[in-house]
Amino acid sequence: MFTYSLQGLELTAEPTGVLEVEENETTARSAVYQVLGAFFASGDATSFEKSREGIWTKELTEAALLLPFALAGGEVLLAAGMSEGEYAAEFDHVFGGGRLLAGTGEAREAEVASVRRDYEYFGLAASEEAPHPPDHLATELDFLQYLCFKEAASSSPRLATSFRRAQRDFLSGHVLGRAAEVVAAARAAGAAQPFAGMAGLLGAFVADDHGYVAGLLGG
Amino acid sequence: MTWGTHCLNCLAGCPYRVFTRDGVVAFEEQGGTIDPVSGGVPDLNPLGCQKGSAWSVQLSSDDRVVHPLRRVGDRGGGRWEQISWDEALAEIADSILDAIEEDGPESVVFEESVEGGLLAQAPFLRLAALLGAVTLDAQGLVNDLPVGQHLTFGTFSCASTVDDTFLADVLLLWHANPAYTSIPYFHFISEARYRGARVVAIAPDYNASAVGSDLFVPVRPGTDAALALAVCKVLLDEDLWDRPFVCTQTDLPLLVRTDTGRYLRARDVERGGDEEVFHLWDEVTGLRAAPRGSLALGELRPVLSGRWSVELADGSTVEVTPVMDLVRANLEGYAPDDAAAVCGVPASTIERLARMVAGKRCKILEGFNGPKYFHGDLMERSMCLLLALTGNWGKPGTGIQGLALGGLDGYFLFSMKTKKGVEETARVLDGIDLAVQAMRERDPDATAEMIGIQLLSLATASGTTAPPVFFNYHHAGYRETWNRQEWSDPTMSRGFDDYLSDAVRRGWWGGVARPGASSPPRVFFSVGTNPLRRARGGRAKLLDNLWPKLDKIVVVDFRMSATALHADIVLPAAMQYERVNVQYPITHMLRLSFSDAATAPKGESRTEWDIFAALARTIAERAAARGMHEYVDARRQTRHVDRIGDDFVLGGDFTDEEDVLDEWVRDSADAGTLPVGSTIETLRRDGSIRFTGLGGFAPGLAVATDVRADEVMTAFRWHVEQNLPFPTLTRRAQFYIDHPWFLDAGEQLPVHKEPPKMGGDWPLALTSGHARWTIHSIGMGNRPLLGTHRGRPLVVLSESDAAARGVVDGDQVRVANDHGAFEAMARVTPRVRPGQIIVYNGFEPHMFLRWEGANEVEPGMVKWLHLVGKYGHLRYLPFGWQPVPADRAVFVDVARAAESPTVAPPGPARRDGR
Ligand code: SF4
Repeated sequence: MFTYSLQGLELTAEPTGVLEVEENETTARSAVYQVLGAFFASGDATSFEKSREGIWTKELTEAALLLPFALAGGEVLLAAGMSEGEYAAEFDHVFGGGRLLAGTGEAREAEVASVRRDYEYFGLAASEEAPHPPDHLATELDFLQYLCFKEAASSSPRLATSFRRAQRDFLSGHVLGRAAEVVAAARAAGAAQPFAGMAGLLGAFVADDHGYVAGLLGG
Repeated sequence: MTWGTHCLNCLAGCPYRVFTRDGVVAFEEQGGTIDPVSGGVPDLNPLGCQKGSAWSVQLSSDDRVVHPLRRVGDRGGGRWEQISWDEALAEIADSILDAIEEDGPESVVFEESVEGGLLAQAPFLRLAALLGAVTLDAQGLVNDLPVGQHLTFGTFSCASTVDDTFLADVLLLWHANPAYTSIPYFHFISEARYRGARVVAIAPDYNASAVGSDLFVPVRPGTDAALALAVCKVLLDEDLWDRPFVCTQTDLPLLVRTDTGRYLRARDVERGGDEEVFHLWDEVTGLRAAPRGSLALGELRPVLSGRWSVELADGSTVEVTPVMDLVRANLEGYAPDDAAAVCGVPASTIERLARMVAGKRCKILEGFNGPKYFHGDLMERSMCLLLALTGNWGKPGTGIQGLALGGLDGYFLFSMKTKKGVEETARVLDGIDLAVQAMRERDPDATAEMIGIQLLSLATASGTTAPPVFFNYHHAGYRETWNRQEWSDPTMSRGFDDYLSDAVRRGWWGGVARPGASSPPRVFFSVGTNPLRRARGGRAKLLDNLWPKLDKIVVVDFRMSATALHADIVLPAAMQYERVNVQYPITHMLRLSFSDAATAPKGESRTEWDIFAALARTIAERAAARGMHEYVDARRQTRHVDRIGDDFVLGGDFTDEEDVLDEWVRDSADAGTLPVGSTIETLRRDGSIRFTGLGGFAPGLAVATDVRADEVMTAFRWHVEQNLPFPTLTRRAQFYIDHPWFLDAGEQLPVHKEPPKMGGDWPLALTSGHARWTIHSIGMGNRPLLGTHRGRPLVVLSESDAAARGVVDGDQVRVANDHGAFEAMARVTPRVRPGQIIVYNGFEPHMFLRWEGANEVEPGMVKWLHLVGKYGHLRYLPFGWQPVPADRAVFVDVARAAESPTVAPPGPARRDGR
């Protein structure tokens, strides 16, 4: 059975409907987003630990078991010979202290308003206590995790389609671009593992997933 | 740069680029960014008109209201004090609560509006719904109802996208002047003509649109039915008509009993037979029931002429004949020579017109002039008959172009949602699906359009909307006027009172005849409407009859309109470019057009959402303070007034209009009427989005066609291509109305009747018309626009009528009849037909001497037959079937005024925008 777990977003009302569903292709996609969201959340001690122990890789592999397409994008290696401090420093170096993971510049305000509206329409809100802003990649991946889960859990075909469309539109409207920037940043920074591998995997996964969902929706 | 449009009653939504500098709007320009839809058909660009191009000037015009104002002294005395928002809202809230406590929530009355955009209307409708108040149907106020189209097609209007105009072979500009009133779309007429289409202008006056036509047909005011029926007669006499189309699409093959004049119903011929199953006479098998589930007749070959004897269920026999025979007999009275004597169009022109349209793709561009005649329904029914005989609807370049509302489903869903979000949308839609399923089980032949109508009827039964005819009759002083039989139709066999009470007694208006005689109005809201300028019957009628009954008159507007001048409290509203809004979507453009907040609202002005959310909060607080928590309204619904503030914003889900609009757009995308993934951001980026569907509700479905991304949208294709029935009693385009009142009036078929002598037996017919330089009165404070014309009210009359009265151009003249009088400057022109005068619409009463505007001579008569209900498609629907006042062909005389003009013409436009 699969359920979602939110880190930067919260439900705006008591959860309704089923809270756990049988694992399937859609929950697999949700699970991959869950792992990616957690990874891009920070380069803290937990992340370091999971990296050192190979847990990220294990989680991704397990999550991807029922994926309708292969998890591509390269190998995610362990952080080799890095200390916890070096791990955190590399995260900051590659992602500009997390700044590259969220929007910047003049359009930021509109982007934040836009993703907030998306969250709210689908029953979530960016938590005041969240460690990340609403337009942070981790939050956005969190949202995709939720949308996939809701699609899988929906008893109404109409609602399932709405959640599926939302995945496609949110990917194309927000995440594909952000992921491409992350891939480019990692490449430009000559990122060490696991950041280089995870960035590559992120870029490939969101592109493949977008294609998959768009295909299901007929274009 | 932001996108802006003007959300006026032009109902266009021309996207403009609005440029700001230092927070101030510097200028606007036409967008011109609409993609072509269909190869070989011109695109919509550039869209725009001079009113829109001068809009930004009005942001700082002299008539702006920028602070809440409270009357000091008598109403209309012109003295005001500036008050705070809190004071204003508290005073209004107290008046509302007093009225509810003493007379119930129906004593709080709002005028619905088609001015100001959806985000100006939705907030007060929401408050009214929460209070259980009454909202007066905008259609009954602005009288744009194409009654004849409704009688024929059972649907509000047949309106294709405007580019469909390009595809016509013959365009009849019938009582329309699109060069004035449809400036953004006029190019399609020119382009069609360039392509080879013939353009015919049919109007009493040689108007600006006639200049670019191939044939001008000068018809005497109010006699268009005679003209159209004469054309129909030529079509039949010369065998130029489309028999298969007539058989499939119309009721002309259906049988009528010659003894009663009623259709032969299944109930007549078999015990327990259906009241709404009709018959035709088949060539081979004789009497057959006409199919109800489809227009297609299959093997049936209806005979269109003859008389047959039919045995009834009780064993007696009756003679029947097809409607077509009755139509032929009726047309005997409209031989071209005879009709020419009535309508003033030479017989040769009538014949030429008939031959011109026969076998061609013909479209009638009608506008809203025709339906505004007392017998405008007969005029329209005759025009529709012409189209039927020539097979002219449901195919590109055909039909009668009225106006249809677009399917912004999110707007309709909004009022049913109890919280934000897609899950709630799905809950509501799933609920609607269940209702639809139940309706389908009851009537398996019902089309999506019919289901949409039923859904709207259900919503109406629990809603706030009421046709204004009863309000006007009981509370606004119209009863006496409407009973002036000499101003009405001589074929009325009873007084108006009799008809009205009969209609109410029979339950034809059950649940919507509100507020009734015993429910006095106490608080009156005008939000962007202007009844003292608009009301047929005149400002004096409202001031004398309605105003004294009202404890509080609240006007929400951005300008000091005539109604604001007579209000108790005026609340300043933000203008377009200062707030977010969308235009009422109509199918002309089939686009949702967005207007962004380019600059801050001027002074203390606020958006309607802001105003009514604050008012709802204030009502809740003040209700709680007086220990008032709930009440039961006239529909037996409990209203929790102490939590109305929270309910208004759904517990904080909708704090501003951006929240609301985003929800509408997302829900519409989810329901399939806007491109998937559309949000407010899409609108903000693109300015305007083309609809992808008509939606699931009646206003959109009335167009009865598929929406395709790469195709011009032509109305009624479902009827012609898929043979889907019409939502009429007979489920066919219905020319024969066998309701007893119609039979009694001799209007079972379209006929010509002389316009009644509304206003008295005077020699000149006032026809009015929309102006080129303003949308109603909105542009009357816009100096550049005022500088494009004489800037003052004009009485446009013919040279011969002027000469006969010793009037020369520029004279001040007095226009008077038995109802009232006004004065204005004469404009003498050979373009106006002798016997006709025109006063273009929009001038505020205070632009006339003594503040007596042109509506003082308009009695505002309503046609008694439009009180009919519970007959097939003749039943009330919001913005649909209902009595509306007539204001064309009001009879007056003109004389030189004793007094000189007192209204100074405006100065030249000032570039500083002040
Ligand atoms: S006023 Fe109406 S017709 Fe004119 S530009 Fe604006 S939206 Fe278009």
